[in-house]
Amino acid sequence: MPPRIPTKPSASSASALVRSSFVSPCTSQCLPSCRAGFSTTPSRERSTILRRDFMMWLKTRGAKYRHPNPEGGPNYLASNTPFPLNPQFRSDRVLDEQARELIWEKVMKKGETLKAVSAELGVDLARVAAIVRLKEVEKDWISKGKRLATSYSKAILNMLPLKTFKPGVENRPLEAINEIHIHTATQKQLFWPTAESRQFTREDAAKAFHAKMLSADKRVPHPELIRMERDLLRDMSPDEARARFISAAEQSERQAAEKQRRKAMDEEQATKKVKTSRFEFRFKEVDSELVGKDGRAPNVVGWKYGMPHYDRKKGLVKIPTSVP
Amino acid sequence: MTLKIRLARFGRRNAPFYNIVVAHARTARNSKPLEVIGTYDPMPKADPYDNSGRLHKDIQLDMLRAKYWIGVGAQPTDTMWRLLSMVGILEPKYRNQQPRTAPELPADIKKPEASSST
Repeated sequence: MPPRIPTKPSASSASALVRSSFVSPCTSQCLPSCRAGFSTTPSRERSTILRRDFMMWLKTRGAKYRHPNPEGGPNYLASNTPFPLNPQFRSDRVLDEQARELIWEKVMKKGETLKAVSAELGVDLARVAAIVRLKEVEKDWISKGKRLATSYSKAILNMLPLKTFKPGVENRPLEAINEIHIHTATQKQLFWPTAESRQFTREDAAKAFHAKMLSADKRVPHPELIRMERDLLRDMSPDEARARFISAAEQSERQAAEKQRRKAMDEEQATKKVKTSRFEFRFKEVDSELVGKDGRAPNVVGWKYGMPHYDRKKGLVKIPTSVP
Repeated sequence: MTLKIRLARFGRRNAPFYNIVVAHARTARNSKPLEVIGTYDPMPKADPYDNSGRLHKDIQLDMLRAKYWIGVGAQPTDTMWRLLSMVGILEPKYRNQQPRTAPELPADIKKPEASSST
């Protein structure tokens, strides 16, 4: 921090400013420091050995990095990676504009299920859903005449390896789609003695880890794909197996929608809405006796007495983590 | 001692949030009550994806317990009386806020006015 020196009267400081503006061209930049400091001499530009080397490099070998690659695509220092000190780094391929449009069209125009599109193109289920949502936002913006950051998107896509899909042909998958998230209950080491004569299935393994855990077969994003493979093993024709898979995917999507609808309806029924001139008051029926004998049960009605409220605790996520 | 159904302020600065509590009348506002029967969030909120400007306030209430405590003589404060009257647990304390319509005029006065307007 510069030394605190009382400021001069405004008239004299203004005249000093005028005088110093004739002395050096840098006055406008170092105005606050001029008032506090004792010297009006501009500092010499620092030129370290490193900086000089950098300038030299920029004139010789680095000349081609001054401007973007004229052929398009990335312009990396090392041959294939954006991080020259980490040659092992490979960026994952991202879906290009055409692929995203294709996914949106399949889901929103042709009415295919998310699971079917995900399985057909080999794109993660959550990614398919995200692409459809973002495409909807994009199209909404276009219809409203909002400006899109197209040049930014182009620049980013130029720097990354891309993956595209062609309509009407069998495409190579982008990623593995049927992976299971690691359940925290499975992260501990477990010794579970069983009789050798007993068949120990995945169901049993799940039960051994946690009483409420589902088996791996049920936790995968596409259990329908497993069923399809079983059908194929049973000598079912591929077309028939595929049709069965699609109908199973539709069924599961319908069930999920129905579940969501029922949940919303239950919530609606438990809420009494009273309109006043300014606001709507929404009364939700709760059970106040779930707090337990000591009144300290978590996640029941009301703020708790004599218990810390962790809403501002360091390291806790304070932004919303889900889309309403 | 008198029992009250009242609000206890929680929340943060400029972000009030109330517990609806049943407590003895002479105890401090935020002292431990006999029972917490609900919450009242006085900050008006909009529904997600709703740009119409309509706002709502959220209240959680255990109606059964509220009725019970009223039944054994707990006295709601004015604010709580207003909220409880909205769900029909109590009669509204203050007069109806609906815009009032003038009583109908006698027939003999009505006639000349109708003729003058036409």
